Amino acid sequence: MGHHSNWPEWVYVGVVIALMCWVGAEAWNAERLVEHVPADAEVIKVTGQQWFWTFEHEDGTKEIGELHVKVGKAYKFEIMSKDVNHSFNIHDYVVLMDAVPGRVNTVWFAPMEAGEHDIQCREYCGLIHYNMRGKLIIEDDSS
Amino acid sequence: MVLELQKPRPIWQIMFSTHHTDVGLLYLITSLSFLFMGGALALAIRAELFFPGSQIIADSMTFNRIFTVHGTTLIFLFIIPFASAVGNYFVPIMVRYKDMAYPKLNAIAFWMIPPSGALIWLGFADFTWYATPPYSIISAPGPAADMWIFGLKILGVSSVLGAINFVVTILKCKHPDMSIGQVPLLAWSFLTSSLIIIVAIPTFAAALLMLLTDRLGVSGFFNPAMGGDPIAYAHLFWFTFHPEVYVLVIPAIGMMYEIIPRFSRKPIFSHSSGIFAFVLLSVVSFSSWAHHMYATGMSFTEKTVFMIGTLAAVPASAMHVFNFIATMWNGRIKFSTPMMWAVGGIALFFSAGAGGVVNAAMPLDFQTHDSYWVVGHFHLFVMGTIAFGSIGYLYYMFPYVTGRMYNENMGKVHFVMSFIGTVLVFFTQHVLGLYGMPRRVFDYPPIPEWITMNQIASVGAMIIGTSMVIFLINMIHSSAKGKLADTDDPFNLGGKYYYPFESKNPHHH
Amino acid sequence: MKSIFGLFLVLAILVIIPAVEYVFAAGDEPGGYLDRRVVIWNLFYRMMTVAFTVGAVVSGTIIWLCWRFRESNPKATPTPYEKEGVW
Repeated sequence: MGHHSNWPEWVYVGVVIALMCWVGAEAWNAERLVEHVPADAEVIKVTGQQWFWTFEHEDGTKEIGELHVKVGKAYKFEIMSKDVNHSFNIHDYVVLMDAVPGRVNTVWFAPMEAGEHDIQCREYCGLIHYNMRGKLIIEDDSS
Repeated sequence: MVLELQKPRPIWQIMFSTHHTDVGLLYLITSLSFLFMGGALALAIRAELFFPGSQIIADSMTFNRIFTVHGTTLIFLFIIPFASAVGNYFVPIMVRYKDMAYPKLNAIAFWMIPPSGALIWLGFADFTWYATPPYSIISAPGPAADMWIFGLKILGVSSVLGAINFVVTILKCKHPDMSIGQVPLLAWSFLTSSLIIIVAIPTFAAALLMLLTDRLGVSGFFNPAMGGDPIAYAHLFWFTFHPEVYVLVIPAIGMMYEIIPRFSRKPIFSHSSGIFAFVLLSVVSFSSWAHHMYATGMSFTEKTVFMIGTLAAVPASAMHVFNFIATMWNGRIKFSTPMMWAVGGIALFFSAGAGGVVNAAMPLDFQTHDSYWVVGHFHLFVMGTIAFGSIGYLYYMFPYVTGRMYNENMGKVHFVMSFIGTVLVFFTQHVLGLYGMPRRVFDYPPIPEWITMNQIASVGAMIIGTSMVIFLINMIHSSAKGKLADTDDPFNLGGKYYYPFESKNPHHH
Repeated sequence: MKSIFGLFLVLAILVIIPAVEYVFAAGDEPGGYLDRRVVIWNLFYRMMTVAFTVGAVVSGTIIWLCWRFRESNPKATPTPYEKEGVW
C-alpha cells in the first residue's frame, strides 16, 4: 500500500472517460437525427385511455385500436392520455412515447414498406395493461 | 463477540437490546426473511410467464400486486436492512468504538421496519414500486395503496435515522488515533451511502405526503384533473431513487472491499482511490435522475444533460472494478464461498454497468424503455451485484455471528447455481426486451421468440430458487450444528489477517 | 507523467475528435425520410460491439486472474504480506 505507482489506474480511467465521450457523442448525434421532424409530416392524434388507443387523422377520420397509414409518408404522432399514464409503442418501428394526461408528447416515423405491426402500451396502466394492444396497418399508396 | 447459538439468551433480551450487534442480528434475520418472501413472489411471476395465458395466477390484478410487493420487498426490506445489518455489526468495530453513536435511535430505526413490512404485505398494493400517478391517485384500489404509502413513509424515516447514526458514528466516534483516511473502505461505503440517504430521502418523503393528500382528494399536486402534473412526481421520485440505486450498490461494493483483499492475501490495491471513487459516486449519483424519464416528453437539451450526468458515474464505478482486479493480481487467492460470490458479483457488475451505458444513450431508450431489457438490466445490479456482494458477505460474517462454520460445499453449490440462474434469467430478459416485450405484463401474445425466452428465464429462476433452498438449509443447519469456527482464522488463510473480532478492538465489549 | 498526457492526446485524436467532427458534419439529410429503425439499431449495434469487446477484455482478465492466482495453481507463491501475517 502506498508504495506502488498508480499510473495504470489513471490510464484506465482515461480510457473509460474517452469511451463515455464517444458514447455520448454518438448518442447525441443519433438523437438529433431522430428528433428532427420533417416539415410535411401528417399529424395523427393518439389518445390513450384504459385500455385502448384512439387515433384521429388530419382529415378528421377516427380509428379505434387500428391505425392505417401509407407507405412513404411521414407521420407525426401527438400523444395524449385521458386518464392515467400510458406509453405508445410500435416496437417494430422503434416508436415509443409516453402518453401523459395534461401533456401532448410528439414522436414521428415514416413507414417504409407495407405490412402489419403491433401497437402496445409500455407503461403500467392497471388491470388490462397487458392487453392494451392495437394494430398498425401500413398500406401501399397504389392499393 | 456474538456467539448467539453457543451462548443462548432469551429472545426478548435480543429484541429489547440496543447493543449494535444485537440490532445487527435483528436486521439480519428480518432482511433474510424478506429475501425469501420476496424471492417466492419472483418465482410466482416467472411461473406465470412460463406460457402465455393464465397459469397459476388467476387474474392480472393479483399479478400486478405480486410484482409490486416483490419489488418493494426486495429493495426496501431486504437490501437496505441487510446493509444496515452489516453496518451495525462492523462499522463500530472498524472505527473502534463501543457501539453505534446513538444506540436507542439505532433500535428505533430497526423497529420501524417490521410494522412497515406488515403494512406493505397486508395491503399488497398494485401500483408498482414506483406508485406512478395519476394511476396511484385515481385508479389504485385502497386501502392497499394507502398502506403502501404509510409503509414507505415509515421506512424512509427509518433509513434517515439509520443514516444519521452511521455518519455520526464514523465521523465523531472513530478512535482518535485513526484518521478519516484510515477508516476501512467498508465503513467509508456506509459513510457515503448514508450521506446520500440524508440528502435524497426527504424529497421522496415529501412526494409521498403529496401523493397521499392527492389520494384523499384534498390536493392535486400530481392529478391533471386538478391542475397537477404527474411528471412532477416522476422528478421527485427519481431525485430520491436514482441516488438510492447507489445507496444500495455502494455498501455491496464496500463488502467486496472486505472480502477480496482477505482472500487474495493482499491489502487492497489503492485505499485512497476506493475512497475517491465512493465520494465521486455519491456526488454524481445526483446528476442523473431524469434518465428514467426520457420517454415522458423531455426536451433534447434535458435529455442531453441527464445523459452526460449518467455517463459521469461510469468512471467512478470502473475505478472500483480496477481496484478489485489489481488487488487480485499477484495474490494467492483462496476461493472460499465469500470470494466466489464477490468475484461473480464483479463480473455481473460490469455487465449491468455496460447495459446501463446503453440505456443512457438517448435514442436507445426508444428500444429499451419499460421493456424487459430494463428489467434484466436493473436485476443484474440488484441481484447480480448487490445481492451477490451481500450474500458473499453473509458467508464471510457467518462465523463471526454464529461462532460456527457454514457448509463450504453447499455454499459453493449455492454460488454456482445462483450464478448460472442469474445469467439465464437476466441476460435473456435483455434480449426479450429487444424483441419488444413490455414489463409489468400479466400475459403476452404467443410470439414464438417471446415464449422461448420467457421459458429460459423461468428455468433460470427455478435454478436460483433451488439454490436459495440449499442456502436456507445451510444457514439454519450450520448455525445450530455446524463445525465450531476457528475464530482467529475461520477461513484457514494462514496468518493473522484482519477479521474484525473483539480481540482486535480494545474498545469493544 | 509526460507519457500519460501523450496517451490522452493520442486517445483524443483517435476517438473524440473524429466523433465530434462526424457529429457536426452531418447536416439536414436531403430527399426521402430518415428511417429511425436504421439510425437507432445502427447505434445499438455499434455500442454492442464496443460493449462486448470491452466485456471480453474485462471478463477475460478476471477469468485469467482467477486461474493464474488461485492458490492451487502450481505457480502460486505466497504474497509478501503473508510473511508479516497482516493484510
